[in-house]
Amino acid sequence: MTTQPTPGVVGRRSLLGSGAVSAAAPLLAVAPAAAQPTPILKETAVLDLVLRVNGQEHRLALDPRVTLLDALREELGLTGAKKGCDQGQCGACTVLLDGRRVLSCLTLAARAAGGAVTTIEGLATEDGGLHPMQQAFLDHDAFQCGYCTPGQIMSAIGCVQEGHAGTPDEIREAMSGNLCRCAAYPNIVAAIEQAKPQMAGRRTERG
Amino acid sequence: MPDTMIGQSPIRIDGRAKVTGAARYPSDVVVPNPAWAFLVTSAIALGRITAIEEAEARAVPGVLEILTHRNMRGTVRDAGFFAAGGYAAETIRPLEDDRIWHDGQIVAMVLADSFEAAREAAFRLRVDYAAVTPAAGFGSASATTEPAAKARQGHEDPQVGDADAAFAAAPVKIEADYATPTQHHNPIELFTTTALWEGGKLVIHEPSQYVTGIRHGVATQLGLDPQQVRVESHYVGGAFGSKGSLTQRTALVAIAARRLGRPVKLVPTRDQGFTIATYRAETRQHVKLAADRDGKLQALVHEGTEVTSRPDPYKVAGTQTTARMYDCPNVRTKVTLLHADRNTPGFMRSPPEVPYMFALESAVDELAVALKLDPIELRRRNDSKKEPIKGLPWSSRGLMRCYEAGAEAFGWSRRNPEPRSMREGDWLIGWGCASTIYPTHIGAATARVTLTPDGQARVQTAAHDIGTGAYTVIAQAAAEMLGLPLEKVQVALGDSDLPPAPVAGGSNTTASVCNVVAEACGQIRARLARAAVEDGPLKGRDPASLKLVSGELRAADGTAEALPEAMSRAANGAIEAYAEYLPQGMPKESMRKLYSGKQALGGGIAEGPLAMAAFGAEFVEVRVHARTAEVRVPRVLGAFAAGRIVNPRTARSQLMGGLIWGIGSALHEETEIDHGRARYVNDNILEYLIPVNADAPKVEVMLLEETDTGVNPLGIKGLGELGNVGTNAAIANAVFHATGRRARELPIRIESLL
Ligand code: FES
Ligand code: FES
Repeated sequence: MTTQPTPGVVGRRSLLGSGAVSAAAPLLAVAPAAAQPTPILKETAVLDLVLRVNGQEHRLALDPRVTLLDALREELGLTGAKKGCDQGQCGACTVLLDGRRVLSCLTLAARAAGGAVTTIEGLATEDGGLHPMQQAFLDHDAFQCGYCTPGQIMSAIGCVQEGHAGTPDEIREAMSGNLCRCAAYPNIVAAIEQAKPQMAGRRTERG
Repeated sequence: MPDTMIGQSPIRIDGRAKVTGAARYPSDVVVPNPAWAFLVTSAIALGRITAIEEAEARAVPGVLEILTHRNMRGTVRDAGFFAAGGYAAETIRPLEDDRIWHDGQIVAMVLADSFEAAREAAFRLRVDYAAVTPAAGFGSASATTEPAAKARQGHEDPQVGDADAAFAAAPVKIEADYATPTQHHNPIELFTTTALWEGGKLVIHEPSQYVTGIRHGVATQLGLDPQQVRVESHYVGGAFGSKGSLTQRTALVAIAARRLGRPVKLVPTRDQGFTIATYRAETRQHVKLAADRDGKLQALVHEGTEVTSRPDPYKVAGTQTTARMYDCPNVRTKVTLLHADRNTPGFMRSPPEVPYMFALESAVDELAVALKLDPIELRRRNDSKKEPIKGLPWSSRGLMRCYEAGAEAFGWSRRNPEPRSMREGDWLIGWGCASTIYPTHIGAATARVTLTPDGQARVQTAAHDIGTGAYTVIAQAAAEMLGLPLEKVQVALGDSDLPPAPVAGGSNTTASVCNVVAEACGQIRARLARAAVEDGPLKGRDPASLKLVSGELRAADGTAEALPEAMSRAANGAIEAYAEYLPQGMPKESMRKLYSGKQALGGGIAEGPLAMAAFGAEFVEVRVHARTAEVRVPRVLGAFAAGRIVNPRTARSQLMGGLIWGIGSALHEETEIDHGRARYVNDNILEYLIPVNADAPKVEVMLLEETDTGVNPLGIKGLGELGNVGTNAAIANAVFHATGRRARELPIRIESLL
């Protein structure tokens, strides 16, 4: 059902919490519901900010409504993080912010300024050596179409770093925010189990 | 290096690109200075647009243009319904007039300098409607029905003998109604399109299962020469049938790019994907099944009614398969279409078999209970050498071998057949099984293979890797035929400028494309062999006896010439071969259809001379909570006989994914519809439930050996759609075993068991 959303009225998306609303609906439409139509700003505001991504600093001038996901993909050309729903439901856009998993479609770019963002492109070493999690996904054929894969891998690293990869059941639970329509799930769990011991003492939060 | 690459399990050759984020999906393409498109879709399901108020939307800074029927009428020509020899997934022309046919129909495309501005303007565009009460589907007063056999592009209802008389006379029988819901593919990659004009050439980046079809379809819609259109889709982020035919958005984005004189990028929302593409139609089915006291089938009656849109007769028609599944002398089937005010349904992974085999395999289980016979034994007694409708012999039929191997591995002999007899604490345990079948389709295909003097091979064909492993299996076929290590083979797919290959549908790609690649490689071998027998170590040999193995051209006695020498003898530089493969028994015109982007698959179980299909047996354990009726699936096992397996690793992944799809089909997935308004309610992937990691059980996939060169020279059967057929029935059968309750309506929810 694709309604024509009324400015000021937040639909089912509000279930997701305020973070979802601020990023998924136009910023101007989030004003409290009122009989008055929301005014149109004459000019688009521009926000100057610095994004630190995979160890590199990028100075950007952005529309304040731009999400971290769109900033990565459209401004920086880092298209590893995927857009699968743009509303916090699929996990394809997962990146690490200061070493913790975040859904970049629900994170405004402005919110990430000052932090250290790690994307799938930042995992392999300069000489092309794969992160143990990437290698494990290859070894276990833990993907098919591969579209959810960058999000799965970032989430898997977060899951291990956050100490949620104790047992296969715990992994399954902790990884259930990352949908895989190809249903590579058993192989994803096997990959995480392979990579986990190899990640000991290694922490990914290069920013 | 092994002498054979076919049958090995190398890691996917595109795997590294996928785990590093380097793989550029169509949604990832970076174009200079794009304009952004955002769709506005209808808020009603039936009626007319009475007014469009654009002023507020146009006042949003950055808005460039708004396409509506008022400035688009007559712009997009008819590309024809795909099933009628055209290209489109539906016959409604984009932005043609003020008429609304279904919920979520595209009514406007807003274009702006930024995604954010386009989205805001789309939200501010006011569209007024005169709404009429729509028909949502079953039970709607204004829905109309027609027999599928009478519809345009009708089908023939398979039948044989006198099923009604045999049913009346039989001593043991069951009769039941089954229902399957609307389901949406929900691939994770959205239905994006990016279009740009380079000189007079239109380049489209769109995740697609049929780049050649989109090329020709868009060319027809825009009045272009197909050579002026290029469609690229090197990777596809999931498709499952949803990206097989031309949808309305593509032409709109192309026209927008032409009008604005700059690239245009469309990223529709997840919810828009529910109505701007296709879905699996819901069905209601009636099955009558009768046997003599020994369990020999006497009669099958299978009637199904399926929802489709108002204008288009999309047919699921799984009776084509169920009528032929078992040896039954009397069969009557009938498919009826129910036209409602809905978007046109389409192919979704195993389109006919998922709903119809659910009914048949549930009914077989019900009959086994009525006969007090083990359900595997019942299937054994009705196994067949020929399909019963036309008497076509099966090219091979591994069904019972699958049951034997699967039952043994699953521990079926330990099953107490009594319902509610197995329990662990509060959990009732049920074991169920069901058969799967997927017809072996194949299509005309073309490919170019180039061998360069440094011993590298390049394969080019407009086939698609939608996650199936096509890049890898095609490389394996070429490596095998040319005697090269896998890493010396490059494969280019997903580009309509390459030699045409069929739609990635009907699980035909591996069979069709590996066979044409083998043919092209065979031409190269022949050319090398002809030169080699002129002079050098192989002088005077029979060229037909020489093989390319391990980097050399080799005779049976081991005498060989290394590839570089053989190459320089045969050519000054590279050797290139262009092959066309027309599968045996397919009409010549299939090749012409391929070149014009039409869908023309052959093979299968109904046309003959052979009935060709892959088979399997699926075993499921369910646990149903005695008090809450929650259903969990801790383990699933599938045993499959699917011809020659080119890459067991990728084959297993596909079958595993299919089995988990079966869990979704049985327990989770349903697109809910607001019946009064004919609008989808749970149009997002939070509320449309697809299995998540915590839903995935222990999955075991067994691949049985099968040699069947009757299907095609390489003996390949498709298997991408084999794993998710019948699984829903196996789960329903296991739920019956656990609880004594027969769930005949999918998905099985707690309320079905209370
Ligand atoms: S795109 Fe962010 S969760 Fe789906
Ligand atoms: S690999 Fe296709 S969605 Fe996960």
